[in-house]
Amino acid sequence: MQYVEINVTVNGELYNKTVPANKTLLRFLREDLFLNGVKEGCNEGECGAFTVLVDGEPMNSCLVLAAELNGREVLTVEGLAQDGRLHPLQEAFIEAGAIQCGYCTPGMLMSAVALLNRYPHPTRAQIRKEMEGNICRCTGYTRIADAVLLAVEKMDTAEKNQSPQRNQKVLAGTKK
Amino acid sequence: MLPKFDLYMPEDFVEACALKADGAKPVAGGTDVFVNMHGGKDKSARVLDIKRLKELQGQRFSESGLDLGALTTHREIEVWDEIRSRYYAMFQGCSQVGSVQIRHRATLGGNIMNGAPSADSIGPLLVHDAVVTVAGPDGEREIPLDKFYTGFKKFDIQPDELLTRLHVPLPPDNAGSAYYKYMRRNAMDLALMGVSAYVEIEDQHFTSVRIALTTSGPTPMRSYSAEQVLLGQPVSDEIIVQAAETVEREGKPRSSWRSSAEFRTRLLHDITIIVLHEAVQRALKPVALKAEAIPMRQYPGLDGLKPRPKMEDVSCSM
Ligand SMILES: Cc1cc2nc3c(=O)[nH]c(=O)nc-3n(C[C@H](O)[C@H](O)[C@H](O)COP(=O)(O)OP(=O)(O)OC[C@H]3O[C@@H](n4cnc5c(N)ncnc54)[C@H](O)[C@@H]3O)c2cc1C
Repeated sequence: MQYVEINVTVNGELYNKTVPANKTLLRFLREDLFLNGVKEGCNEGECGAFTVLVDGEPMNSCLVLAAELNGREVLTVEGLAQDGRLHPLQEAFIEAGAIQCGYCTPGMLMSAVALLNRYPHPTRAQIRKEMEGNICRCTGYTRIADAVLLAVEKMDTAEKNQSPQRNQKVLAGTKK
Repeated sequence: MLPKFDLYMPEDFVEACALKADGAKPVAGGTDVFVNMHGGKDKSARVLDIKRLKELQGQRFSESGLDLGALTTHREIEVWDEIRSRYYAMFQGCSQVGSVQIRHRATLGGNIMNGAPSADSIGPLLVHDAVVTVAGPDGEREIPLDKFYTGFKKFDIQPDELLTRLHVPLPPDNAGSAYYKYMRRNAMDLALMGVSAYVEIEDQHFTSVRIALTTSGPTPMRSYSAEQVLLGQPVSDEIIVQAAETVEREGKPRSSWRSSAEFRTRLLHDITIIVLHEAVQRALKPVALKAEAIPMRQYPGLDGLKPRPKMEDVSCSM
């Protein structure tokens, strides 16, 4: 079995690891870094529970090799909260009741972060289009879209009050 | 779990060609290859990651058209302003591949070389007259995309060659294009049927026409005889319906669990009418407005239950 050495930044921390060539990013995050937010749903890129950001863009971690990640930056759901404070999107998901079983939620959140980095004030149509790759089998999509819009409100208010929440959002998905 | 394999990530093109000739499996975005591996269909012992090859990278729009590296992703096409204003069918095709996550990874080169008859970028590339470049240790060759497919998942490419680039010529200001993907759900589904059209209109006449069919045969394909029906003719609903009837005869869709061949054949007819109307309307708009979506003009027969209307019942679009 071939092994590859990688230097990869995950949630702001640099890791030097040796990984089997055939290990997916998803398995690397779960088994090597114990970041269990990312989920193995279908393993075929269909379900969205695999979503993490690589250099700021949402990707299917089940179809990405860990070996490809040398020098790159990964953000998972565990990296959203800062200083013990949930990200506005996480708060909004709780407040809007956008979670039932929670299996899809980490992927939903990561797609939502990417969405807001691209469209800070999205329409419902933009939310539906940009989050089309995340499947939820119990909550339904209306409350998830509600939660994204609520998070936008929260971030706008935070910006007006110049609280650090806004910076938090920028930090969460900045393309380096 | 992915099967065990050795991974090669060369930066040197000749080295990559040698590895491919020796049986290593090229991987770009991996959205087809790794799915096949997870499912046990692909057991390649060696994987050749081609993403570091600069010969396959980059994309540029210029006076002569688009120069696209084979590694160009569907997302890059989707968010590119010039694509929307000049190559609208490509925007429609690429922006409907899988999901955002898939589109950030999946490449045009992979979409072509995977060879699926349902590939969403191919019909739009065919009607925009794309030319592919394949290269190997002995140099490169340019092949029109419609000649590149030689059969189901078969291409005019040698074992030591890689698909390196695509060239898509610049359409004139009087051109318009459209792609319609028929799906059972709004996202994450393959095309049950798809038709692409490209037209140039001068003095209300079709002066250039290309039509391509998706999921209608072993490969994405041009419908040359339908193009001939329109060429040189004044634009009218009658002639568009005639073209659709020709497409319906020329397409050879199969039955699958997604749909029967009969339903697909009927869709071919109706979708051809939709995309021709849309392409004509876009051709008539100034370039600055070509990027806008055009509301779908439904043909009265689209609901599939009513008998097709007689020619007299169809109003003229111009
Ligand atoms: C969840 C999901 C949804 C999808 N939805 C769609 C959809 O809606 N529409 C659609 O058309 N497709 C869809 N696909 C299929 C796939 O994403 C596309 O075909 C994609 O464009 C493949 O690109 P890739 O770079 O990932 O290819 P890869 O998987 O890397 O490669 C595909 C094939 O091409 C070969 N190859 C790649 N690049 C080259 C090259 N430069 N030279 C020679 N050979 C090469 C590889 O060896 C392999 O045989 C979907 C896939 C998934 C997993």
